Amino acid sequence: MSNIIRNDILTPVSSKRTTKEKLFKICGLSAIIFALSMLVILFTTIFSKGYSAFYQTRIKLDINFNEELIDPTGAREITTLNTADYSKLISQSLFKFLNIDKSHPKSSEIKSLISYNSFLTLRDRVLNDPDIIGKTKKINLIASDDVDQMLKGNINISIPEENRKITDFQIEAIEKFKSNGNILTVFNKTLFTKSDSREPEVSGVLGAIIGSFYCLFVAACISVPIGIFAAIFLQEFAKKNKVTDFIEININNLAAVPSIVFGLLGLSVFINFFHLPRSSPIVGGLVLALMSLPTIVIVTRASLLAVPDTIRNGAIALGASKMQAIFNQVLPLATPGICTGVIIALARALGETAPLLMIGMIAFIPDTPIAITDPATALPAQIFMWADHPERAFVERTSAAILILLSFLIVMNAMAIYIRHKFEKKW
Amino acid sequence: MLWQYILDINLRRNGEHMAKDQIISISKFNKLKRSTSLKIKLAVQNISVFYNGKMAVENINMNINQNEVTALIGPSGCGKSTFIRCINRMNDVIENCTVEGKIFFDETNIYDSNVDVVKLRSSIGMVFQKPNPFPKSIYENIVYAPKLHGIINSKSEADELVEKSLTEAGLFEEVKDRLNESGTGLSGGQQQRLCIARAIAVDPSIILMDEPCSSLDPIATAVIEELIDSLKKKRTIIIITHNMQQAARVSEKTAFFHLGKLIEFSNTSTIFTNPKEKRTLGYITGRFG
Repeated sequence: MSNIIRNDILTPVSSKRTTKEKLFKICGLSAIIFALSMLVILFTTIFSKGYSAFYQTRIKLDINFNEELIDPTGAREITTLNTADYSKLISQSLFKFLNIDKSHPKSSEIKSLISYNSFLTLRDRVLNDPDIIGKTKKINLIASDDVDQMLKGNINISIPEENRKITDFQIEAIEKFKSNGNILTVFNKTLFTKSDSREPEVSGVLGAIIGSFYCLFVAACISVPIGIFAAIFLQEFAKKNKVTDFIEININNLAAVPSIVFGLLGLSVFINFFHLPRSSPIVGGLVLALMSLPTIVIVTRASLLAVPDTIRNGAIALGASKMQAIFNQVLPLATPGICTGVIIALARALGETAPLLMIGMIAFIPDTPIAITDPATALPAQIFMWADHPERAFVERTSAAILILLSFLIVMNAMAIYIRHKFEKKW
Repeated sequence: MLWQYILDINLRRNGEHMAKDQIISISKFNKLKRSTSLKIKLAVQNISVFYNGKMAVENINMNINQNEVTALIGPSGCGKSTFIRCINRMNDVIENCTVEGKIFFDETNIYDSNVDVVKLRSSIGMVFQKPNPFPKSIYENIVYAPKLHGIINSKSEADELVEKSLTEAGLFEEVKDRLNESGTGLSGGQQQRLCIARAIAVDPSIILMDEPCSSLDPIATAVIEELIDSLKKKRTIIIITHNMQQAARVSEKTAFFHLGKLIEFSNTSTIFTNPKEKRTLGYITGRFG
């Protein structure tokens, strides 16, 4: 008898079983490798396309603040200074440097080397310091996007002139600037200090970031307290009956509703019924709040459920009321989980585009929003719009905006992980 | 009577030296004699408990004496825990649980509509099967309930109470240098004594213990049993246990529950040596349960 058993144990393990286990391990490993490589590809493409948007070409010019052009009367009135033709100062300086006359047939090509909006830089300079009038100053002006892209190597100059955005004459001029050391590459501050623009070289994400921030602020202010208190009530106080079951099922359903439906709801309820301003972060925030509410409720309930009943009973047996037991003992233990869930829900809201589509937050808004009722756009919406533009410079800005959005999301998720690890208690 | 005791102790400590047991039994006998003059702390009258309309505990009547340890024994699911939870109205927090009957606690029916449950639970403490200290510091574990009930108002009062409660639970010497460390970092037995200290911090006159030693090793169990012995000088203790030897060691009275009914309730010695009911005999001799 004992011999039989021993022989049985000593026979080699069924090779079929080992193969199955090995196969399963290989499948799992390859799935992870596949996912990781996709992630790496995604990040490298976005980064390689987007990193160049973080620096920018400037052209250093000797600008002669000609008094006759700016303020012929010498009265220094604000309106005069405001309306003076500063573009002319730039073209004069360009022509002077390149030794051409303004009647030159290709003078307009030369003018377009400098960003169209650069006259604003000069105007601000003069308004800040009217004494500058009559003097000549070296000023770094933002180059047009075509110059910038050419210098970044994004324009193929070997193709015939009529097929590219930059002419031979312009290239010649750029070379001349370059040899004189007048071409500078600086950190692209504009990207973070300006809002959307028709000109890619002066467009930035500030407006979108502030819009996103306002949206998120409104969403958090509304969804976090409502979600958490609803979850506490449902999980701890509500009687388990058909009504609560029905509510629970519907909260789970709500979490699975496509976000564009929430956008439609926002459009019909908040804009058409309550007449809140269209395109404003308050409406966006309300819609995102509705969208993240079910997630917050579900996560909070799960965190409360994870706190063992022994804690509740312990507090109640000491004479705490149910509410005291929950608020003094259970909720502090559930807080790390709740925080994590809330941050992840809000991170999802931050990256949401579809509902914003319906409430008009996908629009060209060059002004930076000040209040939550101002027209604004959001980061994902900005990405969506920039991706639509044909200019090469917007392609790199799209990627840059994606990088900025991703870094916000990574920071939020890192925060969630940190909170979970730091404050989670074991028992 | 004395012979019953000797028999009883022989039964639970087979093989131990006879003379030593005799001494113990005599002291126990004296104690018993004293206890006959004790007053009734809890009078349970016709208590029935229903879960979703299904009867879980049926018509319990028993009187529990002051400064005595009463052990509740019986197979799993016989309603011991349900019954003990009636005494501090912990069943109130369970949904669809209804309790019928009366429990007089010092002449007050605790199921009267005007009874303050919070006050009731501060005079009837409870210790659970699994040690459940709050994941906070030892100090905070102790002061939580007294603060809640407004017993302590200042830091010095709190310090004093923490020391007093921990000393009574026999834990102070072990943890006095780490009062600010988490209560969950203690060993299982220490955690259970912390829970006892937490319960006695509000000075309850009754302590309910629902299998307090079931998750502890024999040494920690012995410490808790000693603690129970010293606690009963000031308090009344009701303890659920699955360990027959433990019931015999710590209690004066034993109640045997089966299928939601109180089968037999009398002196521990009687239950273990001369039970009236066949079922009791079957259970204590290990024939079922």
